[in-house]
Amino acid sequence: MTSVDQVSRLLALVPYLQHHPDAELEATAQVFGVSSRQLIADLNVLWYCGLPGGGPGDLIEIDMDAVNDSGRIRLSNAEYLDRPMRFTPDEALSLVVALRTVRELAPASAAPGIDSALAKLEQATGTLAATAKVAVASGSAELRDLLAQAISDAVLVRLEYTDAGQDLTTPLVAPARLIVRDGFGYLQGWSLDRQAWRTYRLDRISSAEPTGDASPALPEPPEFGPGWLEQRPEAAEVTLRLRSEAAWVAEYYPIRKVRRGEDWLEVDLLVADPGWLRSLLLRLGRMVISVQPEPARQAASEAAAEALAAYQAG
Amino acid sequence: MNLAICLLLARRFVEKSQIREVVEGYHGLSDAAFERTFERDKDELRGMGVPVETGSNSVLFPDDIGYRIRRKDFELPPISFTAEETAALGLAATVWESATQAEQAVSALAKLRAAGVDPDPERLAGLAPSIGAREPAFAEIWAATSERVTVRFSYKGQPRRVQPWAMAYRRGSWYLVALDVDKGERRTFKVSRIDSEVTRMGKPGSYHVPGEVEMDAVLAGLEPGPADAEAIVAIRDGRAADLRRRARPAAAEADAVPCGFSAFAVTYSRTGDFVGEVCAHGSDVIVLAPAGIRRSVIAQLKAVAGGRK
Repeated sequence: MTSVDQVSRLLALVPYLQHHPDAELEATAQVFGVSSRQLIADLNVLWYCGLPGGGPGDLIEIDMDAVNDSGRIRLSNAEYLDRPMRFTPDEALSLVVALRTVRELAPASAAPGIDSALAKLEQATGTLAATAKVAVASGSAELRDLLAQAISDAVLVRLEYTDAGQDLTTPLVAPARLIVRDGFGYLQGWSLDRQAWRTYRLDRISSAEPTGDASPALPEPPEFGPGWLEQRPEAAEVTLRLRSEAAWVAEYYPIRKVRRGEDWLEVDLLVADPGWLRSLLLRLGRMVISVQPEPARQAASEAAAEALAAYQAG
Repeated sequence: MNLAICLLLARRFVEKSQIREVVEGYHGLSDAAFERTFERDKDELRGMGVPVETGSNSVLFPDDIGYRIRRKDFELPPISFTAEETAALGLAATVWESATQAEQAVSALAKLRAAGVDPDPERLAGLAPSIGAREPAFAEIWAATSERVTVRFSYKGQPRRVQPWAMAYRRGSWYLVALDVDKGERRTFKVSRIDSEVTRMGKPGSYHVPGEVEMDAVLAGLEPGPADAEAIVAIRDGRAADLRRRARPAAAEADAVPCGFSAFAVTYSRTGDFVGEVCAHGSDVIVLAPAGIRRSVIAQLKAVAGGRK
């Protein structure tokens, strides 16, 4: 018996194979997001499908020998099914949101193509496409333009960058790619100063200047997947107990675990930069009930005392 | 599959008895088994979005019910893309981290490829956008929004019944814009604050979503309010670049500004947030005016400094 997913796929597979004569088995499986074994199973079902009547001339023809011998798919006798089905609402929405995400990260030069693709999709899918919006904090389109150009030219850039601890730095970077994580755009690049892969939040880059020097040959940058922070060796786990009013912390930052009490919550988070944690504790003020390990709080207290001294002097 | 082809090819409504005759998969079934199988197949086709219509060919015998699929309702309308557009679509299919939406986007792109659209992966190399969702209620809310199904859930402990209109992603969080059925008003919900199962009520497509213009206005409401209050601060030279970006140089009494600092006027929208923001900069930012903000900052710094051992 054929499943719903399979029939849905078959209805797209038939026109696809007619538009791509002699399609490769592996490549086709990839297009449809299935294994090649599943694709062969699909073809075996198609073999029994066709015009009402079910006689030899009525069925869709697939050269199964070519599939088995050379991994090529040849399909014929299905001219009546030469267009794919309309998008389902979920497909349309998923693709439109994905495209809007691309739009948020794309350099200015790519924007017109994305906008017109969106407009065409919206026309093909009706009002549904309007029902999802995406906003990513990814700096200016001009900055992304400059970085995209530097990536494709493989040249070094000198950044002016405010790091998470609010220090202004000027790293020399071989840019590799632009990525998005948790709603923020980043430049992933090889830091020549640190001799290591680093990520730079786009909205914290105040300027980028190509130096004219060629980038060194770089390996593939590490995957920046969910939990990327955990891969950073310098990251340490910190536990904050906060008053309930500060519950936004659990939604705002990548948190490993949350425990809730009557009027407090406890969050475990990974901190790669002590300066960032110091800033967070200063920002939260009285909302912080306790901090583990203790030295983290010590640093924030000292910073607060230093700031108070400045007020008393003034 | 055969049922889909049969109905798709027919110009007229096909009666059930005819279908049973021509579709090979139905041969050899008992009456009851055929009824069951046919009804299931028909519902499945509808469930995947195939528009199976019911009607009669005859004006004289309107009770002779048949079925058909109209080609123009079934097929993806003619659509063509430039190379730039196609490259963006190809990249879009790689964007989702959530498995369900990733599958849907891949399947949508496969349909476009089946219509002859072929992305070139070399264009837009160096871009790796991604979007995901950590909210437990996300999948249900997403499905309800795309299918337009009324749902109920508990939000911050309060029961709600809503008609989902739209979803928005901002700074890593998902929001739902919906009509609150009980209040008769539009509301915005942060999906992470839905603290129960999401239960469907009624059928897909059972309400109407207002047009796009209004939606843009709703979604703009997610942005922080206008920064209409102003403070004078002293910023240590070379520090606090984020504050400095939305500040302009300001005049201040010379002896109020410490050595190595410059005075700026900076706008903000919410007092509490601004006090926190200033404190986060420690001794790099000192509030000069207004006096109320200055007092709040000093009080908060004292609270943090008091934690010293």
